[in-house]
Amino acid sequence: MSELVLGVFDPVFAAYAVFIGGLLIVAGLVLTVLGPIMKKDVSSIWRTYLGWLIMIPALLGALYLGRVATIIGVGLLSMRGFKEFARATGLYEDWWHVVAVYLGIAAVTATSLVADPNTGDAGWYGMFMASPAYIIAALMTIPIIRNETRGQLQRVSLSIVGFVYLGWMFGHLGFLANSEQFYGYLLYLLFAVQLNDIAAFTFGKLFGKHKLRSEISPNKTVEGSLGALATSMALPWLLHFSFPHFGTAELVLTGLIVGVGGQFGDLTISFIKRDVGVKDMGVLIPGHGGILDRVDSLIFVAPLFFHMVRWFHGV
Amino acid sequence: MSDWDYRPASDLDQGLSERLAGFPREPHLWMYVVRSIAALAIRLWLRLYHRMEIVGRDNLPLGQSFVLVANHQSHLDALMLTSGVPLRYLHRTFPAAAADYFFSSLPRSAFASVVINGLPFDRKTKGAESLAVCRQLLGNPGNVLIIFPEGTRSATGDLGRFRSGIGRLVEGTDTPVVPAYLAGAYEAFPKGALFPRPRKVILRIGEARSYGNLEAGRETVDHICADLAGAVRALG
Repeated sequence: MSELVLGVFDPVFAAYAVFIGGLLIVAGLVLTVLGPIMKKDVSSIWRTYLGWLIMIPALLGALYLGRVATIIGVGLLSMRGFKEFARATGLYEDWWHVVAVYLGIAAVTATSLVADPNTGDAGWYGMFMASPAYIIAALMTIPIIRNETRGQLQRVSLSIVGFVYLGWMFGHLGFLANSEQFYGYLLYLLFAVQLNDIAAFTFGKLFGKHKLRSEISPNKTVEGSLGALATSMALPWLLHFSFPHFGTAELVLTGLIVGVGGQFGDLTISFIKRDVGVKDMGVLIPGHGGILDRVDSLIFVAPLFFHMVRWFHGV
Repeated sequence: MSDWDYRPASDLDQGLSERLAGFPREPHLWMYVVRSIAALAIRLWLRLYHRMEIVGRDNLPLGQSFVLVANHQSHLDALMLTSGVPLRYLHRTFPAAAADYFFSSLPRSAFASVVINGLPFDRKTKGAESLAVCRQLLGNPGNVLIIFPEGTRSATGDLGRFRSGIGRLVEGTDTPVVPAYLAGAYEAFPKGALFPRPRKVILRIGEARSYGNLEAGRETVDHICADLAGAVRALG
């Protein structure tokens, strides 16, 4: 474990850092050269690029610092994501529920950090998995403590979705940091869901004809979606060094989870936004919208990947 | 089954500086926490460093919305007046703050909105709009609006002319207006000084009055201004 603390000595981390850093530099150069040549306004792309320039060092930095920083980082992202969700739905006006969910996310983060009291393993898996039962029970008691009924079912329901989906399911990403191979798993997931997004966009632009889900996200196409799935299915083999212990079954499942789950995650946040009636969940990251607009795919992918890995290899 | 009634925050698509300068402000948990801590620190500072004394606190018609007016000599004034209101009304106490000064840059906006809970008041071009915001605020119960009717800090410490805004705000309404006098703030922290001096300050709160029985008009506005200026001066 000690050699993992200094990520720079980890070949997987170093490979990703060099690769992603290289991509950033190349993209920056291409934008600098292409803008004047194409005589097009690339300022919105620049904003997106600057957003990446902030996010990537922050992500790599947290991972580099090791499991504690990664788990806390995921917890903070969850809280921020829940805040955006609460503000978009109006739940934020009710601070009992907001504070309760914040505490719930903090508790889940704590179960990922502490050692299992029975086995001594990093991360208290049993309590982590049991946490929804406790937190939902706690949320249910809020109307009772306050002796209120009006609108309480709606608030409790929104709180449960907020906690379970944005806190606990996303929290699997943090728990994954307890694994010996956590650099490979996390860096792969972060990279693969982005590539999945980009592939869907690119294939959609090139070949897109049929709308995928016209009511939810009118710009997505079936062609883009299939292109993304194909890309995501191929990627585990290309980046096999991230998880050298994976056999064919794990590689296929990883491709499916990212390729299918990533798109479902994207569409999940999209339908929530459509129902609520907002365009973006926030404006935290320049050119990217809010946290939830950025991590939408990961929320869906993280628990599926986690339990697949755990089934085959343990965490 | 009918659809749920969502209410997205109105500032969802705004950046930080816009959100801070906007009004009414959407609630933010961290803002309330920071403001509460700051309020405790400010009250402690005023009590210890300035030995602040509050006279006539019972005159505040707490529970209903009211306007608190006072003389303006110092940056301590708004802090003293908010400290005169019980802590549980902290987040419902809004000192009207000049938009062209307090909301002109990000650090100032952050301080004015998070710590002071200021209401951005446009004293130059959109006075009528700002008054409408104030009226809306007073329409909800339990809000405290702090106004310095002179419109700016006195350079000499003497009470200046009351501008017409306060008259136009409360003419023909039953909104209670509470006059107050701030003594010692000019000596402690006059306009142009860099740091407050440890002088004693006193906040004297007078009896509430209202102007619901007067007919709206230019003369009434002048009358209200003169009446309030007299009430403030009488406390001095």
